[in-house]
Amino acid sequence: MSGFILGHLSVFELVLVNGVLAYSQYIALRAGVFSMATAGFAALGAYTAALFAVRLGFPVWAGLFAAALIGAVAGLVLALPLARLRGVFQAIATLAFVQIVMSVGLYWESLTGGALGLNGIPKLVHPGHLLVVLAIVLYVLRAVSRTGIGRAFDTIRQDETVAVSLGISVVKYQSLAFVLSGALGGLGGGLIAYRNYSLVPEDFGFPLLIAALSFVVLGGRNAVAGPLVGALILTLLPEVARPLADYRLAVNGVLIVLAIIYWPYGVVDTVILHWRQRKAARAQAVAEVVP
Amino acid sequence: MFTQQLLNGLVTGSTYALFALGFTLVFGVLHVLNLAHGAVFMVGAFAGLYTVTTAGLPLPLALLVAMLVGGLISVAVDWLALRPLRQRGTTEFGAIISSLGIAQVLMSAGQAVSQTQIMRFPFGTFPVVIYQFWGLRISLLQIVILLLSLMLALALLLFLFRSDFGRQIRAVAISERTSSLLGIRPGRVYFQTFFISGALAGAAGVIIGLAFNSVHFLMGEPYLLRAFVVIVLGGLGSIGGALVGGLLLGLVQTFSVSYLSSSLSDAIIYSLLFGILLLRPSGLFGKLHIETRVVRA
Repeated sequence: MSGFILGHLSVFELVLVNGVLAYSQYIALRAGVFSMATAGFAALGAYTAALFAVRLGFPVWAGLFAAALIGAVAGLVLALPLARLRGVFQAIATLAFVQIVMSVGLYWESLTGGALGLNGIPKLVHPGHLLVVLAIVLYVLRAVSRTGIGRAFDTIRQDETVAVSLGISVVKYQSLAFVLSGALGGLGGGLIAYRNYSLVPEDFGFPLLIAALSFVVLGGRNAVAGPLVGALILTLLPEVARPLADYRLAVNGVLIVLAIIYWPYGVVDTVILHWRQRKAARAQAVAEVVP
Repeated sequence: MFTQQLLNGLVTGSTYALFALGFTLVFGVLHVLNLAHGAVFMVGAFAGLYTVTTAGLPLPLALLVAMLVGGLISVAVDWLALRPLRQRGTTEFGAIISSLGIAQVLMSAGQAVSQTQIMRFPFGTFPVVIYQFWGLRISLLQIVILLLSLMLALALLLFLFRSDFGRQIRAVAISERTSSLLGIRPGRVYFQTFFISGALAGAAGVIIGLAFNSVHFLMGEPYLLRAFVVIVLGGLGSIGGALVGGLLLGLVQTFSVSYLSSSLSDAIIYSLLFGILLLRPSGLFGKLHIETRVVRA
């Protein structure tokens, strides 16, 4: 087993980085924010982390912290206007944000290197770092989802009117979710920067946005484990099934269409639901026998 | 200089409008974003190109073939990706995801067929004629693009507002249940809507492929992203709005490229989109009262 992991270290790293990006998408969707901004946050975080390491010589943790911070700030700034929008309009606005970030990245050559990108970024993250980062992310998300915040997110997602009538401030909680999404997106971007040696603005366009969405849709939008499982499946699949690698795009597409139509709750949430139903059925059977 | 840019802007804008017409039609009827529209557009362009190159048929026929193929593919997208969701009643989020998925499948097919190459229409497919008057230059192709976009938009408006089929489509757009009580078959209306939308995308594919003389599997993406700006400018679901929005976007882009910087024009366009979403989410004309606050399932 350890031999397998060592042999596929770079895929293993990729799963973890994708997992962080998936969580950025997850937390926004969980609170009912129809965000596509993860790719934009990742771009901000990646360039911040890369510049901190290359120009200022910051150590890895400081660079990652800065990346998460800039993502969170971007999330906060965006949250205010997004609170005025709903549904597809939020999706379009966040898509516009991604495009703005990308075109500024292309334009601001003195800082970002323009279309040629930033090169010669040292490889600073190792699987150990990634595991620590992911553990922190999982701890925070679990804490968030176990407390009233998680319940407020679920209520808002399921029915805004009910949420408002229960005294839950939709704007406040959605802003919180968006700030968290920004921080996680920035962090994921920072990890990309410290893993890939070079960055170009096109890395953070439509394909990354679709990937982040697919992880969450396939894995599940409710349980914390969902996005990681989604990232695992979609990252490993082309590696495990080599002949499919050429049709990666098509396989990804077919999978998310099937997922949204047949398992609308995602793999993990569907399994959990199934377990709960079985448990309930068994408990009922016992209750019928006992008296 | 200024009037020449104005003219160029209008031509560019009319290609945006042409692309956005089918996209906004689907949104107007079903209230979902069909993100596979860009891929259908690409497939239409491929169909038109192969009709000219492989089959050796003339351009007008290629345009028809592209419209037919685009329409059928678009109907298939609806059947495979959107109809199952509609039957379950959860559309808004699901439709975005599943149309994205189908778009990826179509793009992958396009990539395999074209072997990731940029293809071109053979020289002379469209006669190169350039007119000069009042110090302006305009090619025959540009005139055709401008006129064709206007004609298709007008035809669509006439169809929607002056025909029986159009009346049915508008009824279903307001309420599927009520219109089916009145004897309209929603399934047939959806079929028509997607066919028309796809046919418009196919026509746009051939025309845009000709205008920039490049056809490749990723050509839909930038147009899809532009189409968001167009339909937000014009109001989501509004046909006339898409036409005006497209022309306006073409002008903004042409002027920002020629007077500011070509790499900054995207930032300007999408900032414009952001600003309009905040100030006037129902579009510049704002007479359509589409709910901007939707309750999600």
